[in-house]
Amino acid sequence: MNLVIEKPYLPSQRYKRAVTYLLVFLLVVVGLCGYFGFDPRLFITDFHYLAELMGEMTPPNFEVLWRKEKVFSSILQTISMAFLGTLIGGTLAMGLAFLAAGNTSPHPAVRAVVRTGLSIERGIPNLVIILVFLIAVGLGPFAGMLSLVVGTVGVFGKLFADAIEGTDGDPAEAVYAVGATKWQVIQFGIIPQVLPSFIANLFYAFDINLRAAIGLGVFGGAGIGYEIHMAMKLTRYQDGLALIFFTIVLISLFEKVSDYLRRQAIGQDVLK
Amino acid sequence: MDYARYQRKKTIRKIWVVAGLGFAAYWAAVSCKVDFSALRRGLPKGIEFLGFMFPPDLAALAELVNPALETVLLAFLATVFGAILSFFFALAAASNVSPPWLRNASRFLLATERSLPEIILLLLLISALGLGPFPGVIAMSIGCIGMLGRLFGDAIEEINPATLESIQSVGANRWQVIRYGVVPQVLPSLIINTIFRFEVNIRLSVLLGAVGAGGIGYELFYAFRLLEYQRATSAILVILALVFLSEKLSGLLRKKVAPEIKLR
Amino acid sequence: MIEARNITKSTKEGVPILKGISFKVEKGEFVGILGPSGAGKTLTMRCLNGLTQPTTGEVVFTDHRNHAINLTRSQGKELRRARQQIGVIFQGFNLVKRLSAIDNVLIGQLGNINWLRSLFYGFTDREALLALETLEKVKVAHLAHRTVGSLSGGEMQRVAIARAMYQQPAIMLADEPIANLDPSNARKIMQLLKPLAEEMPIIGVFHQPEIITEFCTRIIAIKDGRVVRDGGNGLTRAEMLDIYGAEWSEMEAHRPRETPPTENPLHQAPSAPGRGLRPLPA
Repeated sequence: MNLVIEKPYLPSQRYKRAVTYLLVFLLVVVGLCGYFGFDPRLFITDFHYLAELMGEMTPPNFEVLWRKEKVFSSILQTISMAFLGTLIGGTLAMGLAFLAAGNTSPHPAVRAVVRTGLSIERGIPNLVIILVFLIAVGLGPFAGMLSLVVGTVGVFGKLFADAIEGTDGDPAEAVYAVGATKWQVIQFGIIPQVLPSFIANLFYAFDINLRAAIGLGVFGGAGIGYEIHMAMKLTRYQDGLALIFFTIVLISLFEKVSDYLRRQAIGQDVLK
Repeated sequence: MDYARYQRKKTIRKIWVVAGLGFAAYWAAVSCKVDFSALRRGLPKGIEFLGFMFPPDLAALAELVNPALETVLLAFLATVFGAILSFFFALAAASNVSPPWLRNASRFLLATERSLPEIILLLLLISALGLGPFPGVIAMSIGCIGMLGRLFGDAIEEINPATLESIQSVGANRWQVIRYGVVPQVLPSLIINTIFRFEVNIRLSVLLGAVGAGGIGYELFYAFRLLEYQRATSAILVILALVFLSEKLSGLLRKKVAPEIKLR
Repeated sequence: MIEARNITKSTKEGVPILKGISFKVEKGEFVGILGPSGAGKTLTMRCLNGLTQPTTGEVVFTDHRNHAINLTRSQGKELRRARQQIGVIFQGFNLVKRLSAIDNVLIGQLGNINWLRSLFYGFTDREALLALETLEKVKVAHLAHRTVGSLSGGEMQRVAIARAMYQQPAIMLADEPIANLDPSNARKIMQLLKPLAEEMPIIGVFHQPEIITEFCTRIIAIKDGRVVRDGGNGLTRAEMLDIYGAEWSEMEAHRPRETPPTENPLHQAPSAPGRGLRPLPA
């Protein structure tokens, strides 16, 4: 019995192929770096700038947290932006989700319109939304909050609609069978099935929005993001580091809290 | 506990939750300076403003091609660097490959990276390195490491340690165990998550561009600043096209590479 | 060839599991290890190729070139070189499921090739052909390029044996290699191992006494971390009862018999009058 290995499986061929792929890939990356004037070696040669900055930032000036009253209120602003954005956006998303889900929508045309609207909304970058709201209501946390609402509706509206469409049809049919109206079917047949996942996803949305609120603050002139931006701009680096530390602590803390609350609210982890 | 009492308790709990939410929402609204009259006055302004934005400045489209490409390449480079680095972080963060002290250290680092928004990182890096794509790529790469590192780490931890041990038992060293035991097992999930992260990075690089990393985000931001709203509309159209294309591309690649793996 | 010298092993809490195990296995032997569950069989096997370090005692392994290597004291490169010459087959097969069968076999030589080259899959064509021949020896050459995850248990265990054979080991260890297989596959795997025992000593842990008595040349029984029997083939019922204690009767009950009893009364021969159907009078 003579055994042969077909050509594509021969190790020498595979070796050649792997090396070729690797070389092409490296060439692309190197070419792109060259095109940008982006030299990865800069990371080593320019490292001393980073080190210098770090040197200037330490020790962090934690006093800024209680010395300046504005810092405390800006932290509150960031949190409330995220909270309201999640609450209002989540509520709207739930409402729209029932219109966008095939099994609860009043009419297929409504479903198509809402779905398209949601997907367009999702496509619009955050930056555009905040810029438009800045023009409409001026600088401040309100604009940031409104753009968080829009972002939340876009992402979670679709997620919720998919959750509703994914529900088991039998309980709904059972409710129909006892002579219920469509509203009652939604209330007793569908909402109990999707509520845990809605709640879990709202906590998740809050985590995302908190981060986004910090980022939007840089543009919107509000919240802790703006404070960090200003501290860096005015070269008050020690204040900046203190604020960054505080941001990290804040976000990890809220992650833990929302984890805890989610478990309290629904008993188990149903996040998709 | 009888049913009526159970119901009553449930209702009371509901009331508490709603009251708590309402209270929090009220104070949040105060702190957010929610001003519906501003919104009422602002909305016509916004709609009028939308009028200024049309028609898009088609002549500017040609000028915007280069910044758009720059944004894509920025996202690409950041994804590549981030994915490669995060694989090593993930190895350090997986309990079946690395010792406990290293695992804890790596997990802590990854968690810290994740709780630092990329835009703050970028502000830091811009202070140190100046404006330009370089700090943008680094900021996004670090963001990549935070997210991908944990996902990869979890994927590696799902590998049966007995398999790794059996490769050890033929006399392979640590790197060979990783190459033959770990890499083939997690590769599909690595690729899929990396592709997904590329999609995220495209959106992110638009945002970071506005702060100073360059690219289409920068164009958009400055078009707004200079009140060239029609040019801004063209930039928005280009961004929409980018986001849409990257979504389609990543969906396609995902189906091709590993149709059986679900995105987490 | 391989010798365990009074090895003991305790858990972290200090509970002894192995309480002094000694034996020596020479060329040409096919050793079957048996004993009740929790007796320390698997731990003994792990000590034999250095995956677990014994608390006291030592394992000495003599390789192809008659170098004696103390597995207990060696580390790093020396330990890896020794492991290269010890083939191991596991109960759970422990193959890399997303790699093809032939790649899994090639893994057997990882200890011998330059590790930097191995990172780029740098095997030679000759090595691959050799691996294919090894697969042919265990009769799964036609599955060489299939992903291992898509194979059946019996096929996977054959690939695992091929991987161990491809190491060209000086000794083969098999930790319950047939425990996850159905009886007919188990027998086939044993028939593959039997001729191998003439080239290299095989030490295997088995649970089926009838398999051990059929294939092995020597039987070692471990109970409570000690060797309670070490000798040639031929186990009496009394001995089994002594080794397994209460577990024995349970094993008796679950042992597959040569002719399975028919459950359906309609298929039973109507021997006793009044039971079942009586043949019609002619």
